[in-house]
Amino acid sequence: MQVSEIISWLINLLFYKPEVFCPIFYPGLVTILALLIFIIWLERKIAAKVQLRYGPLYVTRKAGGILQLLADLLRYMFQEPIIPKTVDKIAFIAGPVLLFATAYVPAALLPATAEFTGLRSELSLLAVLALLTLAPIFDIIIGWGSNNKFSLIGSMREGYIVMSYEIPMFLSTLAIAMVYGSLNIVEIVEMQSRCWGILLNPIAAATFLLVALISTARFPFEIAEAETEIVMGPYTEYSGILYGLLMGASYVKFYVLSMLFALLFLGGWHPSITWLEKIHPAAPGLVVFIKALIIMVFGIFLRAVYPRFRVDQAIRVGWHLLFMLSMLSIAYSLAVIWLVG
Amino acid sequence: MELPKRVVHHIEALLTGAKYLVAKPRMTVMYPEEAQILPEGYRGMPKFNREKCRSCSLCARICPANAIKMYTVEVEGEKKKKYPGINYNRCIFCGFCVDICPAGALEFTDIHDYASYSLEDLVFKPDRFAEGPPPRPFKPKLVKPMLDEEVGLKYVPG
Repeated sequence: MQVSEIISWLINLLFYKPEVFCPIFYPGLVTILALLIFIIWLERKIAAKVQLRYGPLYVTRKAGGILQLLADLLRYMFQEPIIPKTVDKIAFIAGPVLLFATAYVPAALLPATAEFTGLRSELSLLAVLALLTLAPIFDIIIGWGSNNKFSLIGSMREGYIVMSYEIPMFLSTLAIAMVYGSLNIVEIVEMQSRCWGILLNPIAAATFLLVALISTARFPFEIAEAETEIVMGPYTEYSGILYGLLMGASYVKFYVLSMLFALLFLGGWHPSITWLEKIHPAAPGLVVFIKALIIMVFGIFLRAVYPRFRVDQAIRVGWHLLFMLSMLSIAYSLAVIWLVG
Repeated sequence: MELPKRVVHHIEALLTGAKYLVAKPRMTVMYPEEAQILPEGYRGMPKFNREKCRSCSLCARICPANAIKMYTVEVEGEKKKKYPGINYNRCIFCGFCVDICPAGALEFTDIHDYASYSLEDLVFKPDRFAEGPPPRPFKPKLVKPMLDEEVGLKYVPG
């Protein structure tokens, strides 16, 4: 009797307590791992198709090589992570782990649906934004700790770019928060049941999308890694599972920003599909996930289209275009508030 | 104003990418299931003809990669003779050996691919050299490259 009680308690804890379910399953860790395997495969496949190639094919050939990334992950797991003698050992080992963790933590705070959310707070949007700004610090730490000129150049580039995108990111997010008069993600989504945020403030939406591309090193802003120029940027000295973590981190951050975009600008879980609630309380949140997935597919498609900007061009985009656009979006929000009330 | 122009260019670039995303043709040859038909006189792995060989060892001397060595072979009823053997770890497929052979004992084959589990397996002593390169384990579908006006390069079954 006691065993069945413990099992039912565990199932209840894992699957029906939002405080546990959200960080671990959706929108947290399990979703992220499954998405990583899928989205990197899709990125390689799309780039291959545009360049008249096939892309990964030989692992599970009938399904178009969809398990290629699982094979890569296994290889990363069993490959020896080489730690050079001259590196700062603590920074070198802790850096990738913390980078992945700080990229993932904001996802745990995102709500699945209105009732089913890991963090109930009036300031949940601010918390997510604040946690998003932590990750670049570890990029710079590992670049410094690697004791390699390419790593250092790469992390300095990352530093410059962080300076140029973070202010527009905050301003554009706060512009949309101003329109709704709330910093609570759940409240913002609930107010979008009639009119999506992208219609209320398209300037903020465009700015936020561009910032998401810059901050997660999507093309044309893949400047810190820049494989053709500085080997692999901050990640030059890494191998094995540590490299796997670093490679995954930018996709995790892109996932978080896409989810945030879907929640703030694309109406979140509206239009809500109520019958899904019978399966699981978090199931209606899949609408958000599908919207975020569309954004992510657009982001990875850019790899096939664009070359890479120089670092000064990217910084110019940040300060001359995005900063101005984010200021404009604030003014636009004020106008909307003044007109609509 | 330059900005609207730039936005238009960006949209054009995205549309071009999208066009190729749904376009049909692919240029990949699915080697080894498919293989290109090779032109005449292709420099594949050379084959050795023992009857014609005069044991002059010119092939071993001309070889720029030192891939060819002369091996002493005992033949019954005759005295010892030197015959060439080839090491495919070193061969660069330059074809000098075939060109210089005064008796025409070396000739090209159209096989250029051979995979092996060990380095020793890639050293072909005179008797194996005379057998020629090992055949492919399965027969590939043959394709030939064609210049297409729309796509550029195209491979058609031939």
